[in-house]
Amino acid sequence: MADVWRLIPEFLVLGGALVALFAERARSDSRVSAGIAAAFAAAAAVAAAVIGPGGDLFGGQLSLDHIAVFARVAIGALATAWLLWVWGRGVTGERCAEAAALALFSVAGGMLMASARDLIVLYVSLELSTIPAYVLMGYRRDDARGLEGALKYFLLSMLTSLVMLYGLSFVFGISGSTSYGQISLGAAGPLGQVAFVLVLVGLFAKLSAAPFHYWTPDAYAGAQAGAVAYVSTVPKIAGVVALVRLVGAMAPNVAGASGVLVVAAVFSMVLGNLAAFPQSDVRRMMAYSGVAHTGYILLATGAGTAGGPAAVFYAVAYAVPSMAVMMLAEEEGPALDDLGGLASRRPAVAWASLAWLLSLVGIPPVVGFFGKLYLFTSAVRAGFIWPVLVAVAMSVVSAGYYFRLIRSAFLGQRKGAPVVERRTSAATAFVLITVIVLALGVLASPVLAFLGMRF
Amino acid sequence: MDFPLLTVIVFLPLAGAALVALPGNGRPGAARVIAATVAAVDLVLVGWLTLRFDTGAGMQFAEKAAWVPQVGITYHLAVDGMSLAMVALSALLTLLAIVASWKTEKKPAMWFSMLLLLEVGMNGVFVAMDFVLFYVFWELVLVPMYFLIATWGGPRREYAAIKFFLYTLFGSVFMLVGIIALYLQTGTFDILAMAEAGGLAPSFQWWVFAAFFLGFAVKVPVFPLHTWLPDAHVEAPTAASVLLAGILLKMGSYGFLRISLPILPDAARQWSGFLAALAAISIVYGAAVAFAQTDMKKLVAYSSVSHMGFVMLGIASLTPEGLNGAVAVMFSHGVVTGMLFFLVGMVYERTHTRTIAEVSGLSSRVPVAGGLLAFASFASLGLPGLSGFVGEFLSLVGVWSSQIWAGWVVVAAVGVLLAAAYMLWLVQRVVLGGSSPAVETIGDLTKAEIWVLAPLVVLTITVGVYWDSLLRFTDPAVNAVLTLMGGA
Repeated sequence: MADVWRLIPEFLVLGGALVALFAERARSDSRVSAGIAAAFAAAAAVAAAVIGPGGDLFGGQLSLDHIAVFARVAIGALATAWLLWVWGRGVTGERCAEAAALALFSVAGGMLMASARDLIVLYVSLELSTIPAYVLMGYRRDDARGLEGALKYFLLSMLTSLVMLYGLSFVFGISGSTSYGQISLGAAGPLGQVAFVLVLVGLFAKLSAAPFHYWTPDAYAGAQAGAVAYVSTVPKIAGVVALVRLVGAMAPNVAGASGVLVVAAVFSMVLGNLAAFPQSDVRRMMAYSGVAHTGYILLATGAGTAGGPAAVFYAVAYAVPSMAVMMLAEEEGPALDDLGGLASRRPAVAWASLAWLLSLVGIPPVVGFFGKLYLFTSAVRAGFIWPVLVAVAMSVVSAGYYFRLIRSAFLGQRKGAPVVERRTSAATAFVLITVIVLALGVLASPVLAFLGMRF
Repeated sequence: MDFPLLTVIVFLPLAGAALVALPGNGRPGAARVIAATVAAVDLVLVGWLTLRFDTGAGMQFAEKAAWVPQVGITYHLAVDGMSLAMVALSALLTLLAIVASWKTEKKPAMWFSMLLLLEVGMNGVFVAMDFVLFYVFWELVLVPMYFLIATWGGPRREYAAIKFFLYTLFGSVFMLVGIIALYLQTGTFDILAMAEAGGLAPSFQWWVFAAFFLGFAVKVPVFPLHTWLPDAHVEAPTAASVLLAGILLKMGSYGFLRISLPILPDAARQWSGFLAALAAISIVYGAAVAFAQTDMKKLVAYSSVSHMGFVMLGIASLTPEGLNGAVAVMFSHGVVTGMLFFLVGMVYERTHTRTIAEVSGLSSRVPVAGGLLAFASFASLGLPGLSGFVGEFLSLVGVWSSQIWAGWVVVAAVGVLLAAAYMLWLVQRVVLGGSSPAVETIGDLTKAEIWVLAPLVVLTITVGVYWDSLLRFTDPAVNAVLTLMGGA
């Protein structure tokens, strides 16, 4: 048990969740819980960075490799941004103590998932990171549409989790082990292929990759954008890390393994981008665009070991601005036209949102461009020329709909816009996100060195 | 390298853009003074660069630093004569655009900020010698240009702006795939290193050339990828039109010269016939459509398609004469078309119409404006002694002495004839004759407006009379390109 100290970030997060839950006993305002939770999340991120990589823990059940460390820090930092924002804005007029605690539980799950090297640990941490998300999505109990979306999310997610569990049982049956070191399915022939696909179903649904994305638009559009800001981003980073590692452990020599991933990638990119285009609700648009971004990530995942770091880097490059867009949708209203006149009402936020949206399109010099550059490079290197051509063509389509948001913010008008109060903590969250968006791309060199990205 | 001159030239406008935005839209005076000062300092620095430039030394003022060493991305800037000509044009036109739009009332701080941000991208593209850096600057120009058109443009500005953005983005994402493919083959993102290494398989070159072609040809624009250009030009405000035609189009042809030819020489030879055909079609098509226009600005826009055809024709010839001609047309078109767009804008401000039929008799009512419009038109149609002639002549000589079918020279000559016809017809209708009601009450150009046009007039005459003033810079550069191609 000498390695327990390496889990300090997870303990901090869990402890923070409990403190946040009861903090309003001391102070009557429940928003203070979110502030406390943000402090814990930030501490966890710092701790994760300080602790750094540490090899295998607990007999190989966890592995703190470089990607895991990067993901832990990113998850902690992004959760900090979200909690800071909640501290300033609250969760749609409801009590936020529970929301803060739920988010931190989910963060703990995400951090464990990012370092899991054992099927049981993976499954438990996957559920730990997802179950709080169901609650967050249906956080307002008097909102029928939100509950419907949350229920849909819950049912589909449980179903696919069980399919995945079924697949994991095959993997265990084939290899006789649950440790990543021994679960290569290459020798198992067709049975291995079946197991591989079954396991992927669960992860695809969590990451909302086609064809298991159906829950996403309805669930997002039903929920509060502020909740979606968390659910659509932080668990996704962990999910991508889990996917990369699991594929790396199971897939070598499985016939057609990368084919499955590439086909799902192409479907996700095309379907997500085309479906996002006509949407007039920011949440639906971001839901479909999330499907598309998952598609890009799957492309790198299918590219094998070189693609792993690129996929994880891109997951972060996607999650950071995407969270901010959702927060903005919560503040200004979820309809596309609600952003109208933002540039004159809140110029600083409007310019920041320009950086976020350009990052999502992949325009340099913001982080999204560099994410796409590395991702496409790994995919071209793996020989996926045609899928990459589809991907770049689709990113032009994505410029079409992201620019509808920019158009609305800078050129549109809106009467009766809500007066959004200035809140230091919410502003801090936006600043944090914008700095990451602007700087992580240009100054990525140390991060890439850390992730071991080479082509 | 003691003083990072190129870095300062590229990024000074970025600092300026931030500085301009600070006073806010409420204080236009501060914004425009800062903007003009920054652009002027930048131009002075470019002038200093030009004076210190050694025409015999090839690539110089190089600045090289590791940026993302893990994937071989470097921060690499350098200039040769070709780059220098374009950077000088970019710095000059930006300053003139700022002065010409001095009285912008709508969101002035944002306007000047966007102009300076645009200059960052324009300057950067021409001096970046690393592919990723090049691509960053290449895409960077799209955003300010989008806002310039979409915020300050004409009635259909939003449509025109997004069309411009998506068209050029569509081209450039394929270029990105080409860049990635090249990187994976050569292990570097350095443009010069790639060109020197050479040795890429011809079939591979062919595909990469196709990818770059999409990126560059949309920007130039080459027929049939030009349809964004008339929309963008007609809707764009004057200053944006000047920079769009003057600099942004040149980024495409510069890309062919700097990247496609030296790095993919075998493919360039294979593609040259096709390029020449498209170029010749662009020349005649642009001229013919320009003929039919009733809107002055649209006429100038289509004439740009025609002129850029000469650039492409010169490039396709793969001869020293043709390449020199291409760069000369690029430079001259930037100067002359800039002048035309400024003048059309100045006339429009007074008459509130750009319809040719409603404007006539400028020379009798406003002789300075009329005379300068006639002068710019002559320069544009390629009158010997003015700058337009130099490049068109050299391009045609280049094609004549190359492997390409000489018939394209004849086709292009028809384009020259058409250009003379539509330009003279424009002069006849707009400048000469009795003054129309719209022209009756207007006043002539102000001193400030004349000062905006004066440097362009001087350049037009200088380059037109004393060719060597431009060619001494471009000739060593294009010869270096041809040497890298293995002496075509």
